[in-house]
Amino acid sequence: MSKALKITPEKCTGCMQCELACSWVQTGTFAPSKSVIRVNVFDELASYAPYTCFQCEEAWCMNACPTNAIAIQPETGAKVVVSEACVGCSLCTIACPFGTVFYDPGTSKATKCNLCEGDPACVRACPTQAIEYEEVAGPNWVESWGEKVHQSFVAAYSEG
Amino acid sequence: MAKRHVIIGAGPAGINAMTAIRELESEDSEITLITNEHAYSRMVLPYYIAGEIAEGQVNVGNDEYFEKLNVKTLFGKRVESIDSSGNKVTLDDGSTVDYDDLLIATGSSAAGLSVEGAGLEGVTNLWTLADANALLDVANGTDTEAVFIGAGFIGFIILNAAYKAGWKLSVVEVEDRVLPRMLDDTGAKAVEGWLGRQGVGVHTGAKVTAIEESAGKKIVKLDDGREISADVVVMATGIKANLGLVDGSGIETNQGIQVDDHMRTNIDNIYAAGDIAEGPDLSTGEKAVHAIQPTAVEHGKVAGANMAGKDVTYWGSLLINILDICKLQCASYGLWGEDGDVTVVHNDARPVYRKLVWDDDVITGAIFVGPANDIAMLNDLGMVKGLIQTKSALGPWKKYLEENPLDIRRPYVASKAASKLLKMTITGQASSERGYRHNSLQPDPNAGTSHAVYVKHHK
Repeated sequence: MSKALKITPEKCTGCMQCELACSWVQTGTFAPSKSVIRVNVFDELASYAPYTCFQCEEAWCMNACPTNAIAIQPETGAKVVVSEACVGCSLCTIACPFGTVFYDPGTSKATKCNLCEGDPACVRACPTQAIEYEEVAGPNWVESWGEKVHQSFVAAYSEG
Repeated sequence: MAKRHVIIGAGPAGINAMTAIRELESEDSEITLITNEHAYSRMVLPYYIAGEIAEGQVNVGNDEYFEKLNVKTLFGKRVESIDSSGNKVTLDDGSTVDYDDLLIATGSSAAGLSVEGAGLEGVTNLWTLADANALLDVANGTDTEAVFIGAGFIGFIILNAAYKAGWKLSVVEVEDRVLPRMLDDTGAKAVEGWLGRQGVGVHTGAKVTAIEESAGKKIVKLDDGREISADVVVMATGIKANLGLVDGSGIETNQGIQVDDHMRTNIDNIYAAGDIAEGPDLSTGEKAVHAIQPTAVEHGKVAGANMAGKDVTYWGSLLINILDICKLQCASYGLWGEDGDVTVVHNDARPVYRKLVWDDDVITGAIFVGPANDIAMLNDLGMVKGLIQTKSALGPWKKYLEENPLDIRRPYVASKAASKLLKMTITGQASSERGYRHNSLQPDPNAGTSHAVYVKHHK
């Protein structure tokens, strides 16, 4: 079992420090719009969670890429964009059904979470340990969190 | 005796079948890869034309790579015919190759345009590497004036390359709008407006009657009397499946070769994949020729897995397309063309165009059009694909999306599409690092200088 980002939505305060850290590491600027981790701030549902690539087993982005520009980083198992090999065709961005591969119009290249080569800046940035980097069986949080968001919505908006 | 696999075609379908066989078959079977060109990616040619990559970067393998995979390559050879009862193929040099199973992945060719002057120097299809080099030979840097005949996906991916190279551009389309097989009327009008603002001439509803040569220029004549002068004329008037080689083989064809959910043809030991295959469509449940890269890859993987003796059922291809047109991103998915129950956001000034197509409370298709700076760094492009692919019933979230059509994230999270998708694979095998990469480029083992600075200050 390799390490992965362990997300605990209940601990997330929606402070967006992870986005700032991520964009700094990935692009050298503090720009949440360039972050490859995104905090879902669902204020009206009192629900928050950071969201990024699950490093899925049979990676849709790798399958779609015509230049094999997405490699598996041997140390972490992360699927990472090899920038020099990426031509910027954006196919990975619509092939990834999680919405966690992006096209950066500034560099004309694909960009995604690379787990910071085993030392994720988002983990360091998070003041509440909502993001940890640990050995985990799988991203089980996503199912229970989705259900919670759904139930909160139904409770708030359902008629009658 | 080792099993003899023969693969005809070294595009994405053939190459992915090859790697799937090598990943999944325990014994070291024989693989012969035959193509009338060599192994390269047509998808990547526009970036070569734009001058962004070297010619060599279009390749998807080299001698060393194929040797390492123990794959015999017969490049520059065309398969003339298939003897499905004798289990052999005949090449254009008269030689034959025996097989135990065969994959036909011969793709498609440019349909071309039969018009006077189509054979002139500087008038070219753009489908092969040879076409790309012919175009670059006659181009004249940023002074190049180019006319594109055909405003489809292929026309625009090349037009965008020419835009990046600084050429002066115009495009002619016989139908009354651009991208008739990728965008609906509203999306197409948004693109046309954008193109106009970028200085690209758009001539829709116009038929080319002749191309003439005058004073070193090509003159493209249209049926409404207009004439456009250019240095180069690129014909991108559609593609057709390369079905010639299956004539008389007993293999059933329609628009393409008919395959089942294992990518198997009506003949047990013959498979087809990619542009030439008419396989299961996820959206309709019918069979379709998609002629897109992701479908070719998935076809190839499924065919390869089954050729390797696995029993892999394909749940079908989702039609997806994305184009960067002069920094305007356009994407469409699934049943994007339907006009019944839809949710739309539309503003031509930016432009912004988003369309969700509903079947009851399930999103079955979508269109996104917007400047790359607006939409390319959103989760939305992939999330909508995930919702379509999982056919997630959104229940009360449909009404929410109708009222908040720009908020894909909440319904996506609440649908739990991600957990469904984590279990959904093509071959059931984890991705591996089997593939070829130009110059053997490897990921950087360091996280970079910004990371080092960050770590120093966040102990």
